[in-house]
Amino acid sequence: MSGMKPANQKAELLLDAAQAGHVQEVVTMESIAGCATTFDPGWEVDPFGGIASLCQPMEADLYGCSDPCWWPAQVPDTLNTYPNWDAGAPSAQNDWRELDAVFPKK
Amino acid sequence: MKAQEFAIFGLFLSLGAAAFGATKHDYIVTGSKPDHLFVVDPAKRTIASEFKIPGANDFVGTIVPSPGGRIAYVLVNKMESIAGIDLTTGKEVFRADLSTPGERVKCIFAFDVTPDGKELIVYELPVKLGLSEYKVEDTRFAVFDTRAGLHAEPVREFPAPRRVHTILARKDGKSFFAIGFDLYEYDIATGKRLGMRGIRHWDYPGHSIPDLLAFWPVSEPTGIFASPVYSTVKPPSGHGAPVAKTALMTLDLATGKLAFHDFETTSALIFSAVMSPTKPEAFGVYSQLSKIDTGNYTLARRVDLAHTYYAVLVSTDGKEVYTAGAMCDIGIFDAETLAEKGDVRLTGCTDQSITSPRLIRR
Repeated sequence: MSGMKPANQKAELLLDAAQAGHVQEVVTMESIAGCATTFDPGWEVDPFGGIASLCQPMEADLYGCSDPCWWPAQVPDTLNTYPNWDAGAPSAQNDWRELDAVFPKK
Repeated sequence: MKAQEFAIFGLFLSLGAAAFGATKHDYIVTGSKPDHLFVVDPAKRTIASEFKIPGANDFVGTIVPSPGGRIAYVLVNKMESIAGIDLTTGKEVFRADLSTPGERVKCIFAFDVTPDGKELIVYELPVKLGLSEYKVEDTRFAVFDTRAGLHAEPVREFPAPRRVHTILARKDGKSFFAIGFDLYEYDIATGKRLGMRGIRHWDYPGHSIPDLLAFWPVSEPTGIFASPVYSTVKPPSGHGAPVAKTALMTLDLATGKLAFHDFETTSALIFSAVMSPTKPEAFGVYSQLSKIDTGNYTLARRVDLAHTYYAVLVSTDGKEVYTAGAMCDIGIFDAETLAEKGDVRLTGCTDQSITSPRLIRR
């Protein structure tokens, strides 16, 4: 990070961690451990670079991703932030019309 | 007699018969949104009984049956509670609400019951909820007395590593395995770490750091936990892109033996796997159902499925394979040919999502 300058307090903290030798504590996740820790591309592409190996149909995977907050950028985080997103819609294949977009709370 | 009462009465009869020495039968315990718990009779292709889990809060996750299959412990309430449901009466007989005012505690899939049925070992991720900030606290194992009723509190706690997603009690009841970056083993009574073996730090010559997705803690009926593991090796030419390999990880819960064996150059995804009780075979599932020859570690057979399933079980006689999880049905397949033999559709077609269907025998 020699060519980068911290733009805010969090970035400064990250720089401090690097200088204090704690960089090893920041590692790529190989297994899930909760919200916002999965950096897979999501539903855009499968491990083979195509889409055939994504879950079929995507409704099979919808609640499997929102329940454990697997891909919080693609589906709402129902673990903490939007716990009622899928309330009243227990079947993704039948109830998907009931699911709405979410927006950050002000 | 209402249909559900009739089903419960039928289950009483069959379970009572089992108690008097009649032949035991396989049942599949699965859950679905928002609060359903099902006992499925795969031989009859029917739902034997279904219950509602109090306070599930639109979340039904990991299922851990008690030894003997009398109670199902279910992770509910957005990963913050474990409910113990009596599978004969449907009553909630145990509950541990992990969070307390000021501290939010999540259990991300990982808990198990001891072989004597007396204690639950739960992996906890606590966060202190301050007025203007959240403070991530150290992860820990919490042990609960299963006879503590509906307001269970930990009887012991001890430090745990981060990133644990599966707990499996060892068959001797003295220790348990925790699967995370690596495989850890802890003394149940003292919390002392007894050992660590490599998953991320595995000793598999020529292979990259592996990728493991394992939160279906199925080891029945063999007592061996199995999971697919992905890694890459150098191409045979020595040049070009790495080649992806799929291995089967096995952990014998009696002996503690851990093994990894490549069985194919990755050509399809597998989410979870189960060992056959009768043949040197394993079965893996995702959008295809795969059979793995564990004698020679080769792919023996693979068939396309109608849709993706997350979880796979095998009957105690080894003759049928059951696909479950994700959507609202349980697929039934011939273990030899992988031909579909039938399915059981859950009431209301409610999604199983990430629950971990389990096989019990009563």
